[in-house]
Amino acid sequence: MDSFLSTFGSDYLNGLIETFISPRKRLFLGYVALALVIGLVWLRWQGKTLKVALTSMLSRDIWLSASARADYAIVLINRALFLLASPLLLGQLAVATWLYFQLFDHYGLPPAAGALLPDWVVVTGFTLWFFLLDDFARYYLHRLLHRWPVLWAFHKMHHSARVLTPLTVLRTHPVEGLLFSLRSVVVQGLSIGLFKFFFASQVDLYTVLGVSVIVFTFNVAGSNLRHSHVPIHYWPWLERILISPAQHQIHHSTDVRHFDTNFGAVLAVWDWLGGSLHRSEPGKPLRFGIRQRVEPDEQTLAMLYLQPFNEAVMIVARPLRRCWKGLRYR
Amino acid sequence: MKLKKIVMALAIAAMGSTGVAAQAADVYADFPVTVKDYKGTAAHSVSYSGQMARQVLHTSLKKLAKQGNGQPNAALKAQMMAYFDGKDAGREILAPTSKGTFVLVQQNVDQLSKKKNLAGKAYKGAVTSWPGNMTGAEVLAFMIDKASSADKGYDAVNGLDYAQLISKFTMGAVFYNQAVDHYLDEKLGADVKPNSKPYKAGAAYTGKEHVWDEAFGYFGTPAHTLTLTAKQVHSIAKNKPDALTLADANGDGKVSLYNEMAFAHAYYAAGFDKGGKTAYLHTITKAFVDGRQLLADANGEALTNAQRSELKGYAKTIADNWEKVIAEAVFKYAGSAYKDLEMITAMLENDGDVSKLYRTYGKHWGELKGFAMALQMSGKDMGATGVQLNRLIGFGPVLLGNTQVTGIDANGGYVQSASVSMSEYMLQLLKVQKLMVDEFGVEARNKDVLAGMTDLIEKLGAEAASAEND
Repeated sequence: MDSFLSTFGSDYLNGLIETFISPRKRLFLGYVALALVIGLVWLRWQGKTLKVALTSMLSRDIWLSASARADYAIVLINRALFLLASPLLLGQLAVATWLYFQLFDHYGLPPAAGALLPDWVVVTGFTLWFFLLDDFARYYLHRLLHRWPVLWAFHKMHHSARVLTPLTVLRTHPVEGLLFSLRSVVVQGLSIGLFKFFFASQVDLYTVLGVSVIVFTFNVAGSNLRHSHVPIHYWPWLERILISPAQHQIHHSTDVRHFDTNFGAVLAVWDWLGGSLHRSEPGKPLRFGIRQRVEPDEQTLAMLYLQPFNEAVMIVARPLRRCWKGLRYR
Repeated sequence: MKLKKIVMALAIAAMGSTGVAAQAADVYADFPVTVKDYKGTAAHSVSYSGQMARQVLHTSLKKLAKQGNGQPNAALKAQMMAYFDGKDAGREILAPTSKGTFVLVQQNVDQLSKKKNLAGKAYKGAVTSWPGNMTGAEVLAFMIDKASSADKGYDAVNGLDYAQLISKFTMGAVFYNQAVDHYLDEKLGADVKPNSKPYKAGAAYTGKEHVWDEAFGYFGTPAHTLTLTAKQVHSIAKNKPDALTLADANGDGKVSLYNEMAFAHAYYAAGFDKGGKTAYLHTITKAFVDGRQLLADANGEALTNAQRSELKGYAKTIADNWEKVIAEAVFKYAGSAYKDLEMITAMLENDGDVSKLYRTYGKHWGELKGFAMALQMSGKDMGATGVQLNRLIGFGPVLLGNTQVTGIDANGGYVQSASVSMSEYMLQLLKVQKLMVDEFGVEARNKDVLAGMTDLIEKLGAEAASAEND
């Protein structure tokens, strides 16, 4: 038991530290610092003085608000929960191997490395394929989280944030976290199984600091500003292709017009194709959260973690009850 | 001042004795005689010479298995049987032999132990991984018969490499089975070979001490293994000239096959560990040394329940890791055979000569099959895993015409039938690798056909438990 606790403790701390020092993580301090610089430049360009820009980005009203404090607690709690659950999760290797065997069974012997395409085409193809499939899967799962009432009950935890800080990216209910992990496992497993079968040892990823070059670019370009109060928008045509920080802030808006829009992570094309694209509205102030009215206990951890279960049970039970009543009165 | 000197002397003496104890705990040797009322002259109670005699019977038999000329050869068969089933004096150690500066102490089996054989200790149950419903000893005798009439131990018609099959299956049916299914299993029971009595009248060792020693001997590692790295132990087994100083623990300029040489399972454990991902060799040896120390500390008394429970804990560590070593070997050779078939297929597409590749495939398949058979010799029921393993590998390699040995007829001849294609068989070999990962948790994973997958997963980075959310 002692050794379990000590291993758990050190894994917990290492994981937590890695969240901020690994370039593989969105919250890598380098990316956060770059986001701060980009935000300041943008606000200066919008005519704000450096002092005002700095004060507004680092405002105590944001960083010490009840909502932000809930973010911090959730990050700490979830880290422990995910650490406990991670050994139970299905591995990418199992999915990749399964697909590889299926392809082998169907097509026979895999082609030898280099038989189909040159290395640089395979690596470019894999980097692009993985980015597109991963981004689409994020979009699609996000869409389901909004559209399916049972899933929305859990996703609401993320949307209950009244202020947005980069840490809001980890404000996730554990049930939703589980779904995101499974999504990641399936996407990685299928991509690896597929490419390994057809291109063997040629398969690789273009990386910078150990992370895919595309994800790295996204993070360096200020991905953390999507969870901030800096409404950077792009040209209207570009907002059909890439989700700007302002578009993601619209996704968090309490305005009914903005509900169920901009589900995309990096690319806006999925929303464009799916009819959920909403371009930014420069100059229009936004309020963040699920609803306009502020409930007194909405940022308490008990409410955030337990209420979704209550709601989900009610949602599932309602049609069952109706069904039962129908049977009784026949 | 005088008092200070006495205290200093006592401190130095204490440090010295601690050093001796630490050294003793590192080497499987010199454990004291604890038998009550022992009247003999033995200075210590460690003895496993019979097991080391069987180690050299095995290595010699393997060498003989390669000496046929493709015709029935009664003399060769008789010689092989002498090493397998005989007990006669004067059997020369055919392998290993002195090489350059790597000089061995022993030249014949009797110098280690007299009247020992392999057949008497082979697995007594039915071997389901080989056709014919035979016992372990019968399977080995059958293979010896075939080897004696094969060309350099290789049956090209059926793709069977007898030197490999005999060697690897002997390691399982004799060494592994004797150790984990007997000495580390039922012979650790309270009423069997108790620690409060000598193993036999007049012996310098107790029942349990000798039981433990015998299991250690079957593992086949140098007594001073814990003072060496896995790579060093591996080079000793390879008889490399520069390994003499590593092996020669007593500094007599020669290597004793009794306690300074690495054989069979220890050699494979070292081979996997030198890759740096596993520590089977040291884990197993440490458990043997710790268990032996426990017995020495029991000082000739019957073991208490707590002591026996601790000893069984060491035995479990040994058995679990030993099983993983064999599973690693199955994994490795399934990968080797896969890669051979990959090359054969490519060569055939280019109308090249595959004879050399084909021979290598037969060798690797023999190693795969031999280890897969060995894996099933622990005495425990492997259930579906065993069935799956045997069906995936079959009784012979899939041959160029997509045929495979599927049985033995009434005259002991092989029956070959149409089987799966080579590419389908390659998928089966991949499934063997997956089975070793899923069921035995192998970690060294030499010749991993899907190795790149793990690297890619690592590269893609996002660990399963992260949930960045937009």
